[in-house]
Amino acid sequence: MSLKIQIIVAVVIVLALAGIANMVRKEALDLKFALSWLAVGVIVLILDIFPGIMNYLVSLLGIELPVNMMFFFGFCFTLLLVFTLTVKVSKQAEQLKRLTQTIALLEENIRKGAEVKSKDE
Amino acid sequence: MKKLVIIPAYNEEGGIEKTVQDILSNAPDFDYVIINDCSTDQTLAVCEKNGFHVVNLPVNLGIGGGVQTGYLYAWQNGYDIAVQFDGDGQHNARYLDEMADKLINEHLDMVIGSRYIKKEGFQSSGLRRFGIRYFTGLIRLVTGKKITDPTSGMRMVGRDVIGFYAKNYPKDYPEPESVVTILKNGKKVEELPVQMNAREEGVSSISPRKSVYYMIKVSLAILIAAFRR
Repeated sequence: MSLKIQIIVAVVIVLALAGIANMVRKEALDLKFALSWLAVGVIVLILDIFPGIMNYLVSLLGIELPVNMMFFFGFCFTLLLVFTLTVKVSKQAEQLKRLTQTIALLEENIRKGAEVKSKDE
Repeated sequence: MKKLVIIPAYNEEGGIEKTVQDILSNAPDFDYVIINDCSTDQTLAVCEKNGFHVVNLPVNLGIGGGVQTGYLYAWQNGYDIAVQFDGDGQHNARYLDEMADKLINEHLDMVIGSRYIKKEGFQSSGLRRFGIRYFTGLIRLVTGKKITDPTSGMRMVGRDVIGFYAKNYPKDYPEPESVVTILKNGKKVEELPVQMNAREEGVSSISPRKSVYYMIKVSLAILIAAFRR
């Protein structure tokens, strides 16, 4: 990997990390969800600055090209993340359903109460 | 004994008046509640004009969430019996008393109005009948119980099942799955022969394109429900 590319990658990642941190600061992103992204950024940054680690891991796992390892782990991470989100969406759909039902029933209750009251008067 | 008719309604502006009239004149012992599932047509306006009793969902939940709202209402308001009843004129209220009698006298947990015992009235198209027969077979396989009309939306349940459905009810295509769930929980389900009408208003929620997805999804749901405890 040429020094030029190393520097470009490092700059991009530092910018991305700063961007994520800023979003957390402005409360546009929950720290809980930002954590995994911050972790990925830091890991890639470390691998970028110390290419030796990457070469060591590649030989350890018997992968021929370092870039293949990046693709492989990147893909695994993305799958995991998407799946986690699917689980999250399912849970939120259930919560949203409950909220909707509760609001609808409360609203009916209030309307009924108002009708009874107007009849009494 | 408090009895409630749950009418899930999504874009039923054309059929809802007739449905309520049918219940008021042919099943006067029953209260009713319309669950307006955020209809985009004039359903709500029609209900308000007539002073119908309606619960308005602020967000569209689909048939499962809508019907469940009805069960929640029944649970919270102390109803002993609740029955689902379509808002499009497919179901006939004259069977409701008979269904309630059967539920009480035979100590059942659910009575389903079935088109396929006497095979009278509207019988649905050939392909749909085939699909329904397939579900009958599948449900028999996993529960040992023969339900001739597992997709029937006309079903009456007692207080136990009202509470159960208020807690858990499938979100989409709920009919076959919800029967399997309560059968697996040792509840007693029987059917009563009824006649249904061809849909007069609105369109079926299951278009031909969706039917393949429907078959796969419901089959899986039945199998999962069979293994859930």
